[in-house]
Amino acid sequence: MSAETKEFKIKWGMVIDIDKCTGCGACMVACQAENNVAPAAVGGNKLRSLNWLTVFRLSNRKPFPDHEVAYLPRPCMQCGKPSCVAVCPVIATDKREEGGIVSQIPPRCIGCRYCMASCPYHARYFNWYDPKWPGDLSQALTPDVSTRMRGVVEKCSFCHHRFMKAQELAVSQGRDPYDLPDGAYITACTEACPNGAITFGDVNNPKHKVHELIKSPYAFRLLERLGTDPQVYYMSKREWVRREGDNYLENEKTGEPLKKLG
Amino acid sequence: MDRRGFLKFAAGGTAGLVASPIIWNTLYDAVYWTQNWGWIPRLKKGAGEYLPAVSKICPSGTGFLVRTVAGTPVRTIGDRNNPVTHGSITSLAASEAELRVSPSRIKKPLLRSADGAYNAIAWAEAEKLLKAKAAAAGKSVAAISGDPTSCTNEVLSAILRAKGSKDFYFMPDEEQPALAAWTSMGGRGRLGYDIENSDCILAAAPVLESWGVVAGNRAAFNRHHPVGAPSTQKLIYAGPVQNNTAAGADLWLPIKPGTETILMLGIAHLLIKAGRNAADFEHGYTPANFKEFADLAAEYTPEKVCAATGVPAQRLEAAAAMLLDAKAPLAIAGSELGSGGGAAPVMAALSINMLLGRIGSKGGVVCLPDHANVVKGAMKYSEIMARPLVSYTQDVASGKKPAPAFLFIHAANPVYALPSDSGMKQTMQKAGFTVAVASFFSETCAEADLVLPATLGMEAFDDVQTPYGSGRITYAFARPVVKPFGEARPAGELYIALAQELDVQLGVKDMPDLLYQHAFALGTPFRQMMEKGTVFTADSAAPLPKMKFNVRSLKAALSAALPGDAPVLAPVVVLGLGTAATSVPPFAAKTVTDYQICGKYSVAQMNGATAASLGVRDGDGLRLTAENGATAEVIVSIFEGVMPSSISLVAGLGHTAFDEFSRGKGTSVVSLTGITREPGTNLPVWGTAGLKAARA
Ligand code: SF4
Ligand code: SF4
Repeated sequence: MSAETKEFKIKWGMVIDIDKCTGCGACMVACQAENNVAPAAVGGNKLRSLNWLTVFRLSNRKPFPDHEVAYLPRPCMQCGKPSCVAVCPVIATDKREEGGIVSQIPPRCIGCRYCMASCPYHARYFNWYDPKWPGDLSQALTPDVSTRMRGVVEKCSFCHHRFMKAQELAVSQGRDPYDLPDGAYITACTEACPNGAITFGDVNNPKHKVHELIKSPYAFRLLERLGTDPQVYYMSKREWVRREGDNYLENEKTGEPLKKLG
Repeated sequence: MDRRGFLKFAAGGTAGLVASPIIWNTLYDAVYWTQNWGWIPRLKKGAGEYLPAVSKICPSGTGFLVRTVAGTPVRTIGDRNNPVTHGSITSLAASEAELRVSPSRIKKPLLRSADGAYNAIAWAEAEKLLKAKAAAAGKSVAAISGDPTSCTNEVLSAILRAKGSKDFYFMPDEEQPALAAWTSMGGRGRLGYDIENSDCILAAAPVLESWGVVAGNRAAFNRHHPVGAPSTQKLIYAGPVQNNTAAGADLWLPIKPGTETILMLGIAHLLIKAGRNAADFEHGYTPANFKEFADLAAEYTPEKVCAATGVPAQRLEAAAAMLLDAKAPLAIAGSELGSGGGAAPVMAALSINMLLGRIGSKGGVVCLPDHANVVKGAMKYSEIMARPLVSYTQDVASGKKPAPAFLFIHAANPVYALPSDSGMKQTMQKAGFTVAVASFFSETCAEADLVLPATLGMEAFDDVQTPYGSGRITYAFARPVVKPFGEARPAGELYIALAQELDVQLGVKDMPDLLYQHAFALGTPFRQMMEKGTVFTADSAAPLPKMKFNVRSLKAALSAALPGDAPVLAPVVVLGLGTAATSVPPFAAKTVTDYQICGKYSVAQMNGATAASLGVRDGDGLRLTAENGATAEVIVSIFEGVMPSSISLVAGLGHTAFDEFSRGKGTSVVSLTGITREPGTNLPVWGTAGLKAARA
């Protein structure tokens, strides 16, 4: 893992309010359609199917009737210290652009899948087979994202093409492309969520809503103590949900200041 | 060869190999051939647009923006300017650009040959056949529509009426039993709910996933639950499974399937005990039979209700307290499946609304006007709603009624959506000639003589008139923002042309004219709706009805046997798996989870205690036998968010038609249920069933 967290002036971040998510999957559908992820006939098989965004069901592990349920949509965390970047032998994935999005360049990928092994969030997927759009389905491909090929790894890009579009628009209107107003660039999943569970913006920019949201006492990140410094935050008022986000010990309180491991 | 010779040979060989291009070429080829792709899809380039349109396949008629590139739709996204959805979109509507070109989309008219195969025919031939068969049928014609919000129903029903038939039916939905309950209690027009303005909703219906105007419900949920700020609306969900609606609820009331009415009466009991009585009624009237209702509710003590429904006592009390605390509480009842529900749960929910003084109040129950007709001779909406399709098909199947010589099925898949004892299949087999007008090749198409490819909402003129569940009058046009796929044609135009051929005077010349007349009747600017896709909304000005409790029907319904401790089916609907008419959209197939389907088997969720009593563990095979004799092999999954004794299966699986995204996967929940009659109203009801379960 790289020693230092990479810092940028702009840091695109996502805050997912788990208490607002009802697990409908509209975000997953939008992500696939936006990013030309091929459909799969056996979608229920999670070992085989490839999703940039997956909605997981969480349980408070209590028996009926005290059982509670929650849903957790998981895109790529766009880590500040991305373990995938450190292990890629051909620099097919990197984090060096303003905004802090971890890039993925499929044609450069040699399919060694080290990054998949190193990603603690299982956010990376491998194309074991040729992607297929049966019948006329390829007619609905969007022009924004190249399709990938068998033998390469792919993952969520925070809809990077939308960032570029928003910047182009700003330039064409004579605005600063590095100071986009809140909402000028949002991801497809953010846009699709009917419950408004996902908020997107620049966490470094005080004019953006996410800037405040990440300071909430209810905000947390997944496996925070691994030190990957994710740019995706979650929120829940429920203690058990926050505990599910990391490997807390029985006697520990959720959200205790992180003790650095080693 | 000696040792030195061998070493020389090996060294020379290695040097030779390294120097030769063989290794590098082989490596290159290995990389190339393992990653090369026989066919690389071309991305479209061209001008892009975002055009407001509506979904006609999403049951609540979700408005969205269609993103087109060089005229081809590539995405459907929420439309923030839409006054109903405020930018919300359902997972079904979100996959419509891909559904439009899905493998099961019908491209050409198809005629069934004697051996059962379907052959493509030309439209001219199809239309000739349509006219000949319709003309020859005389008054023996019937039609089924799966799209109650569309004005095309007026055209179809006017054709039927002109020929002397009244056999026009809607597919069973939530509104039919609700309307029966509403009118039986003195309601006039249509029943609506002002969900947006309520601050506490008790819902025995999946309001955040599939019930009512879902995209609108969820937009309201979004606004009432601002991120990082306190929420302004409470949601109490009552149902046997912790489904998606329960995930968004503040309180889950676990109840056995089919015990909604008892639960509602238990809450009514607590409300009356807390002093809510006739004095609280607003609008200057007191239902004469309050006392009678209070006597009935008095029987439903918490002990009795908890024993019958399985709800924990504290939660029942908490729910009543939340309703009493609220300024604008609202009670809603429906069915988990979206069809086959009874009227009694709605009567009980309306009774709660009456006790709380919520009829006609902001954030309460709304009285909406009936859909206005503009087509001459069309049947009244409420009149169609009042006659259940299943009663007709059962009568035809049993021979009590003659089979129609000509049967029209518009935008519906009754063969899949209705239980096997509905008589639907037999009606189709007995009918002289059946025509299915559909966008996707469904189980119903596979039984029809002629299959006609219909356009989607984004491909043709059509409309969405106030869907059930809305609290306001809403009106939206479906506009052709993209070209129809294949040879699909607008159903509305097809029916108007047929009417003209049959000399039926409709008083409208084409679909734009029909839409114009509707817009005119509502007093909304037609041109703006047509050109910009704006949506009309208005508060209802219908006069408030004088409501009374329907104690007799409630008593009758409550006399029905309760589910005991034997396993009972608890269906769950997720809109992402599509509707009966769409099946699973290709791009939603990956949202199917491993607790819904496992290989080709449906997954049955049950809690640990239920599994233990059946002697099964997580991942075991289970054979379910329903009361109607239908069987299903399922895989057990332990989930503590299910009532004891309830076995939860997701609906929308078990298709035998459509494409590889839905065919041959899992069990159809409806196939396990049978039709009974609701005591008191005699409405056909289904959706749950006793199950026998044995390890497989
Ligand atoms: S669209 Fe929103 S509510 Fe639905 S699963 Fe995604 S985050 Fe959750
Ligand atoms: S940010 Fe874009 S690529 Fe990432 S999960 Fe959301 S929709 Fe998919």
